[in-house]
Amino acid sequence: MSYISLDGVSKQYGAAWAVDRVAMAIEKNEFVSLLGPSGSGKTTLLRIIAGLEKPTNGRVLIGGEDVTDLPPHKRGVAMVFQEFLLFPHRTVRENLAFPLRMLKLPKTEADERIDWVLGILSLRGLEGRYPNQLSGGQQQRVALGRGLVGRPKALLLDEPLANLDRELRQEMEVEIRKHQTALGIPFIYVTHNQEEALSMSDRIAVVRNGRIEDFAPRAEIYDRPKTAFIAQFVGRSNRFVGVLKREGATAAIDAGAVALATADRPELKDGAAVAAYVKNEKIRLRTPETLRALGANALAATVKHVILRGAYAEYVLTWAAGEMIASRPRAEVEFSAGDAVVAHWDPADVDVFPEKEAAA
Amino acid sequence: MRFRPGKIALIAAVVVSYLFLYLPIVHIGLASLSRNSSFPYPPHWSFATMSRLLGNSLYQTALGNSLLLGVLVATLSTALAGAATIGLMRHAGRKTTLFLALFIAPLFVAEVLLGISSLIFSGLFLGLQGNLGSAVLANVVHCFSYALLIMATQLYRYDWRLDDAAMVFGATPARTFFEVTLPLIWPGLLGAFIVTFIMAFNNLEISFYLLGATPTLPSVAWGALRYGVKPELYALATCVNLVVLCVLAVMFVLMRTGLATFGHRPERERAAV
Repeated sequence: MSYISLDGVSKQYGAAWAVDRVAMAIEKNEFVSLLGPSGSGKTTLLRIIAGLEKPTNGRVLIGGEDVTDLPPHKRGVAMVFQEFLLFPHRTVRENLAFPLRMLKLPKTEADERIDWVLGILSLRGLEGRYPNQLSGGQQQRVALGRGLVGRPKALLLDEPLANLDRELRQEMEVEIRKHQTALGIPFIYVTHNQEEALSMSDRIAVVRNGRIEDFAPRAEIYDRPKTAFIAQFVGRSNRFVGVLKREGATAAIDAGAVALATADRPELKDGAAVAAYVKNEKIRLRTPETLRALGANALAATVKHVILRGAYAEYVLTWAAGEMIASRPRAEVEFSAGDAVVAHWDPADVDVFPEKEAAA
Repeated sequence: MRFRPGKIALIAAVVVSYLFLYLPIVHIGLASLSRNSSFPYPPHWSFATMSRLLGNSLYQTALGNSLLLGVLVATLSTALAGAATIGLMRHAGRKTTLFLALFIAPLFVAEVLLGISSLIFSGLFLGLQGNLGSAVLANVVHCFSYALLIMATQLYRYDWRLDDAAMVFGATPARTFFEVTLPLIWPGLLGAFIVTFIMAFNNLEISFYLLGATPTLPSVAWGALRYGVKPELYALATCVNLVVLCVLAVMFVLMRTGLATFGHRPERERAAV
C-alpha cells in the first residue's frame, strides 16, 4: 500500500476537466514532481491533495486513510506556495509557530521545533522580522520552514522557486532535496521547470491537459520519453518528420534530406508518418570529410552561430531542411560560425512517435 | 519671497472653498456658545444654551435614540455587508459583478422613496409598528450597500490564498477568520462601521417615516422648524459635529500612523539584508 494514493481523481470546472482520471501511488520517502505546462492541471491536482479543492470524482488516500471528504485542516499535510503567502501581520517566529499552535503542541516542544527550523534554514536572527522586511529568498525559507515545522505527513510544494532568481533557485533545489531526505516524508513538487523537476525528483509525473502522461523515474522520463509530448517538453530536442520503414530488427525514417536509423518500433505501422526526436546533447559534431563513412543518422550542416553556455556550447546549425541545435561540452573540439560540420547521433538516441500525436 | 499671481489665485480659491464648506458650521458653533445666539458677532461667550440643552429631556431622549439607531444599524449592516463582501470576493466568478450591482443598487433609490416603501412594507407584510426597530431595518437597506462598497474597495486587495495557507496549516475555518482574515481586514470593517453609523445617526428621510413617535435628533430638529428654531438646537448640532469630528480625527490618525493600513505593511521598513 502506497503512502499517498490518488484513485481516479477528476475535477470538473464547467464543461472542462482540469484533472482527468488521475491515478498515482506515491511512496513515503519519495520526492515526486508534477511537471507540466501552465494550465495543465498540476496545481489543481496538488490542491486536491491538500483538500483545498474537492475532486468531482475519485478518492485521495494519505497514509492509508481516505481523506477525500476531509477538510484541509484535518489532513495533516503542509504546503509551500509560489507567492510564499506568509502571514503579513505576524513575525517570522509567529509564522513558524502557527502550525504548531494549531497542533496544540506544548510550548517547550514548540520552541524546540522552531529553533530546529531556524537552524536548518539559517533563519536565526530574523525571528522578529515581518515578512515584508525579508528578501525573497528569506521569505521562501520561512515558507519552507512553516511547511516543515509541523512534521506533516507530506509536504506539497506549488512552484516554490518560481519567484526566485536562478542562482538562488539552484541553491534552494539542493536544500529542499536535503530536507526531504532527512525528514523521510514525501514531497510533491509542482513545477513547469524541467530542470527543477530533474534535479530534485525521484520520480516525475508529466501532466498534460489534466492527465498524467507518464509517471516514471526521472532518468526514464528524460532518456526514454513515452510520448511525443514528453519528448518535446522534457529536454531540448531536434524534430525530424518522415516516413517509417521497418526492416527486421531496425527501422529507418526517410525524412527527405536525411535518413534516420533506429531500433524497430513494432507498435508503429510500416509506412506510417512519424516524428523523430533527437536531444540536442545527443548530437555530435565532426569534420565534413567523415560524412561518407557515417551513412544514416548523419547530415552535413553549417554552423550558423555559437551560443556559449559556460561548460558547454550550443551550436545553431543550418542544413538542407532547416535548423537544428547541438550542444556539446567545451572540452571537445570547438567549431566556430561558418564552419562546415557533420552532425550525427546514435540510433538509440532517436525517439519515434506517430506524427499525428506529435502534432497535437 | 516673490508671490506670483497664479499662486495667489490658487490659495484664494482654496481658502474660499474651505470657507464655503465650513462657515455655516462654524456659525452654528459660535451661536451655540454665545449669549447673542441669533447674531454671534462678536461672540459673547456663554454656556447658557449648552446647559439648557442638558436640561431638555426631549433632546436627551432623541440623542439616546439616535445613538442606539446608529450603533444597531452600523453593527447589522457591517456584519451583513462583511459576509456578503467576503462571499463575493472569496468565491468570485462570472456572476460576481451581477451580484455586486444588485447589492449596490439600493444606493440609487431616493431615500424618501426608500422610507415610504419601507413604511408600507413593514406595516403591510411584517406587521411592524412605527418604532426604532423598523427604522433600524429600513436604514440597514441603504447602509448595507454603502458598507459593501466601502469594504469591497478595501477587501479586493486581500489575498484570499492566505486563508488557504492557514487552513492547510491546521486552522479551522473559524480560526482562519479570526487569526488571519480579520486581523488583516479590520480597517475596512471599521471604516464601514463608522460611515454607516454616521449615516444612520444623521438620517432623516428614511427614519422619519418609520420612527412613529420615537424621537431622534434629526427628527426632533426637523420638528423644531414648526415651532421656531431654538438655540438649543444649535448647541445640539455643535455637539454632534464635535463627536463626528473626533471620530474622523481618530480615523485620520490611525491611517497616518499606519495602524490602519491595509494588509501588508506599506513598504519595507528596513532594506532586506
